[in-house]
Amino acid sequence: MNAPILTYVTFLPLLGVLAILFLPQKSEQSKNIIRGVALVTSIVTFIVSLWIYAGFNPDIAGFQMVENHSWIPSYGISYHLGLDGISFWLVLLTTFLTPITILSTWSAIEKRVKEFQIAMLVLETAMLGTFVALDLFLFYVFWELMLIPMYLIIGVWGGERRIYAAIKFFLYTAVGSLLMLVCIIGLVYFHKEQTGVLTFNLLEFLNTDLPRLYELLFFASFAFAFAIKVPMFPLHTWLPDAHVEAPTAGSVILAGILLKMGTYGYIRFAMPLFPEGCAFFTPALITLSVIGIIYGALVAMVQPDIKKLVAYSSVSHLGYCMLGLFVLTRQGVEGSILQMLNHGISTGALFLLVGVVYERRHTRLIKEYGGIAKIMPAYATVFLIVTLSSIGVPSTNGFIGEFLILLGTFKVNKAAAVLAATGVILGAVYMLWMFQRVFYGKVTNPKNLNIPDLNLRELVYLAPLIVFIFWIGLFPNFFLNKMHKSVDHFIGQVQVTQHQLAQVDSDYAALDSIKEIIPLRSK
Amino acid sequence: MSNLGFSFSLAQLWQVCGGQILLIIAGLALIIADILLLGRDKSSRTGIIGWITIGSLVAIVLHVMFRQWNVEQTGIGGIFSADRFTTFLCAVVIMSGILAALMSLGYLKNNKLPHSEYFILLIFAVYGTVAFIQSVDLLMMFITLEIMSIAVYALAAFIKACRQSQEGAFKYFMLGSFGSAFFLFGMALLYGFTGTVNLSQIAKAISVGGLFHQPAILLALAMLMIGLFFKMAMVPFHMWTPDVYEGSPSVVTGFMATAVKAAAFGVFIKVLFVAFSPLLSTQSGFSATASLVGLEAYWKPVVWWAALLTMFIGNLLAVSQKNVKRMLAYSSVAHAGYMALGILAANAEGRAGILFYLFSYTLMNLGAFGVLYIIDGVERGAQTLGDYKGIGFKYPGLAFLMSLFLVAMAGLPPTADFIAKFYVFSAAIKEGYMLLAALGIMTSVFGLYYYLRVIWMMYMEEPERDVRAGTLTAPTLVAIVVAAIGVIYLGILPEGLATIASAAQAGLAVVF
Repeated sequence: MNAPILTYVTFLPLLGVLAILFLPQKSEQSKNIIRGVALVTSIVTFIVSLWIYAGFNPDIAGFQMVENHSWIPSYGISYHLGLDGISFWLVLLTTFLTPITILSTWSAIEKRVKEFQIAMLVLETAMLGTFVALDLFLFYVFWELMLIPMYLIIGVWGGERRIYAAIKFFLYTAVGSLLMLVCIIGLVYFHKEQTGVLTFNLLEFLNTDLPRLYELLFFASFAFAFAIKVPMFPLHTWLPDAHVEAPTAGSVILAGILLKMGTYGYIRFAMPLFPEGCAFFTPALITLSVIGIIYGALVAMVQPDIKKLVAYSSVSHLGYCMLGLFVLTRQGVEGSILQMLNHGISTGALFLLVGVVYERRHTRLIKEYGGIAKIMPAYATVFLIVTLSSIGVPSTNGFIGEFLILLGTFKVNKAAAVLAATGVILGAVYMLWMFQRVFYGKVTNPKNLNIPDLNLRELVYLAPLIVFIFWIGLFPNFFLNKMHKSVDHFIGQVQVTQHQLAQVDSDYAALDSIKEIIPLRSK
Repeated sequence: MSNLGFSFSLAQLWQVCGGQILLIIAGLALIIADILLLGRDKSSRTGIIGWITIGSLVAIVLHVMFRQWNVEQTGIGGIFSADRFTTFLCAVVIMSGILAALMSLGYLKNNKLPHSEYFILLIFAVYGTVAFIQSVDLLMMFITLEIMSIAVYALAAFIKACRQSQEGAFKYFMLGSFGSAFFLFGMALLYGFTGTVNLSQIAKAISVGGLFHQPAILLALAMLMIGLFFKMAMVPFHMWTPDVYEGSPSVVTGFMATAVKAAAFGVFIKVLFVAFSPLLSTQSGFSATASLVGLEAYWKPVVWWAALLTMFIGNLLAVSQKNVKRMLAYSSVAHAGYMALGILAANAEGRAGILFYLFSYTLMNLGAFGVLYIIDGVERGAQTLGDYKGIGFKYPGLAFLMSLFLVAMAGLPPTADFIAKFYVFSAAIKEGYMLLAALGIMTSVFGLYYYLRVIWMMYMEEPERDVRAGTLTAPTLVAIVVAAIGVIYLGILPEGLATIASAAQAGLAVVF
C-alpha cells in the first residue's frame, strides 16, 4: 500500500470545498446543488476511507500506512501521519458520520447553505487530521483548525443564545490547548537536551525522561486541555450550552466526534507521553470520571429540554470512557474505545432524532409533547431502539461498551465500578422517563396531532446508525479484533513504566529505612 | 574606523547604502515631478505620483533584496552597515511601504484627499526607516529616527479637516519627542563614558574591566531602552498608540504599526545585542576583555516584565474597545509584547523569530487596515463594532479577508502568525522562560476573544444600519490579496522565510 491513503482521506473534503466555493447560491436549486456536492464529497471520502479498512492489518501493534515528510526541517517538524488500532475506528466513525450529518441538514439549514457546507467539510478535514497526526505540531495545527468552523457552525446557524455558546466553546477549548502548546514546546526542548535532536515526532518522545515535576506539570496541562474537550466534570459547562444552541448537525458532529478528540488525546498523547504523571493523577481522574457519570445522569434527569438531556447524558457517557481508560486493563481500554464509537453512533442518532421533531414543531421541551408514538410510529420505533442503545440494553452496542468498562474497572477498583454501575441505572431512569413522557399516553397538545412521520431521507440517514447499533451489539469482536494489539501495546507503554516507578519507589523506601538505621547505629 | 576621509569611497557607499541613495533620489525626483505636473488636476497628479512611488519602491526593494543581501560591511566610516539582518528588515520596511502606497491610491480617492505630497512624505518615511535600521552609530540613529518620525508625524496629521487626526499627530509628536529625548540622554551619557557612539566600539569600551557594572552605563542603557520602547509601543510607554493609531489615516496607521515597529525592534536588537550583549564578546576581538554576559542580569528582568505587561495590558484593553481601529491599535501593543519574548530569549531562534514575526505581522496588519479603510467608506465612516454587524453577508469578500487577517492575528493555524508566535514562544521556552510563556499565551485568550468578536459581529448579528463600503480599487485589491496569500502561504510553508530569517539574524554578528 504505497499510495498516501491517509492524506487522500484527510484532504478529500477540501476538494469539495474548492468546488463549492465557485457555486452560486441564489435559487433553491443552486442550494440543492451545493448540498449535493457536499454530500457526494463526504460519501466519496467515506468510500475512500474503506480502503483504509481493507488495508488495515490488525496484527500490527504499531502505526500503519505511515507517511512521513519533512515539513519545517529547522524545527524538526514533519508531516507525519499514521494509524493504529486505536485511531482506526475513530477515523472511520468520522467519515461515516459526516455524510449522515450533511444529509440531515438538507432542510434544516435554509440560509447560507454554501458557508455551512464549507464549514462542515473543513471541519471534517480537521477532525480526520487530528486523528491521524503523529507529529505534535501537526496535531496541534489540526486541533486548532477544528475550532473556527465549529465556532461558526454554532454561532451562525445556532439557536437564540448561540453567540454566548459559541464564544464559550471557543474560549474553553482555546485556554486548554494554548497551555498544551507551551508544554509541547517544553517537552521538545527537554527531549533536545537529552538526545540532541530537535523533533516534534510523537514516537520519539515516548522514551524521554523528564524531571518528575515537569512530568506532572506537563501531564496536568495536557490532561486539562483534553479534559475540557471530553468534557470532564467540572469542566463540562460549555457542553450543554454548545449542544443546545448548535444546529442539529453541529450537535451531532460535536457529540459524535469532537468529544472523542479529548479521550483520544488521553490515549494517544497524555498517557503514553507522561506515564509517571498519569500514575500520579489516576486516582483524581477516576474520581472525577465517576462523579461525572453520576452527576451527568442526575442532571440529565431533571432537564425539561430533550436536547439538553442528551447533552448531559454525554457527560455521563464520556465519564465511562475516561474511567475505562484510567483503570488500564485490556477490557477497560477496549471498552472505552468501543464506548467512544457507541456514543458517537447512539448520541449522534439521538441528536438527529431530536432535530427531526424540532424541524416539525420548533420546540424541544418535553412537556410540549406526549403520546406522539401514535402519530409517528416509525419515528417512535427508531427513537426507542436508540434509547435502548443509549441505556445499554443487551444486544445493543451500549451494553458491550459499558459492560467491558465495568468489567475492567471491577478488576482494579471495585468501589469505582460499583459507583459507576449506578450510572447505568440512572441512565435507564432518565432516558426511559423522557421516552415515556414524549411518546406514551394521550396526545395532550393539539399541535402534535398532525406531525408527519419520518420521510425517506430521514430514514436513509438513520438506518445505517441502527444497523451499527445492532452490529456492534451482536458482533463486538468484529470491532474489538482490530484494536487488541494496539491496546495491549498502549497498556504496556503506560504500565511498564509505572511498574518501574513502583520499583524505584520501593528502592527509595528501602534506602530511607537504611538511612534510619544508620544514624541509630552511629549512636 | 571613525576616520571619515580614510574609509570613504563611492563604490563602498553604493554597496552599503544603495537602497538609501535610491530612496533619496526617488524622493527628490518625486518633488520635481510634482512641480512639473502642476498644470494637471489634483487627483490625476496624485495618481501619477503614487504610481511613480510604487514603481520606485518596487525597484528599490529588488535592489535591496538582490544586491545588498550578500554585502556584509560597514560604510562611511562605520555609520551605516549593510548586513543580512538590516537588509532583511529594510526589505520588510520597503514592502510595508509598497503595500501602503498601493492602498493609499484608493484611500486618498475614497477620502477625497488628492494631495500628491502624501506619497513624497511616505517615501521619505521609508527612507528614514531604512536609514534608521542601517545605522550602527547612535548619533546617526538619532538623526534618522527623527527623519523617520517627522515624516510619519506629518502623515498622521494628513486629514487636515479631522480633529482626531490632528490630535493624534500632535500627541505622537509630543510623546515621540519625549521618547527621543530619552534616547538622546542615554547616548550622551554613553558618549561621556566611552568616548564613542559606535555600537561595536561601545561594546569594546564597556567590557574593559567590567565597566558596564557602573550605574551610569546602566542608566544610559535604561534611557536608550526607554527611547526605543516608545517607538516599539511597549508598556508602559504605549500610551500614545491608541490615539495616534485611531486618529491617523488607516493606511498610515498600518504603515506605522508595521514599518516603524519593525525598525524600532531592529534597532533595539542591534543596540542590545551589539553594544550591550555577549553576542560579540564571544568573538575573537574580545578575548582580552571582560565578557558582557553579566549585563543580562540587569536588562533581562526589565524585558521580562515589560513583555508580560505589554502582552497583558495590550490584550486586556483591546477587549473593552468599541472601535475596531482602536482595538487593532491595542492589539498591536500586544503583538509588541509577543515579539519581546524573542528579545528576552536572546538566542538565535528568538531573533530569527522576531524577524519572521515582523514580516508576517506586516502582511496581516496592513491587510487588515486595507480592508478596514474600505469598509469605512470615508475615514470614521464605519469603524465601530456596531457598524460591523451583519456585513459578513453583505460584503462576503471583504468580510472573509478581514476574518482571515483577524484569525491570523489571533495566532490560529494555519496562518503566518501562528508560526511566528510559535517561533518566539519556543525561543523563550528554550531558554527556560516557561512561566512567562504560559502567562503570555494565556493573555492571547483575550486576543482570541476580541478578534473573534469582530467575526461574530460580521457573521452572527443582524445589521444595525446600512453600511456603505467604499470603492475597492485594483491596487488596493492587489495589496490585500497579496497580503492574504502571504499570510496563508507562510502559515503552511514557513520554512523558506524562516531559513532566510535565521540567515539574517546570523548576519548581526558578522559586520562588527
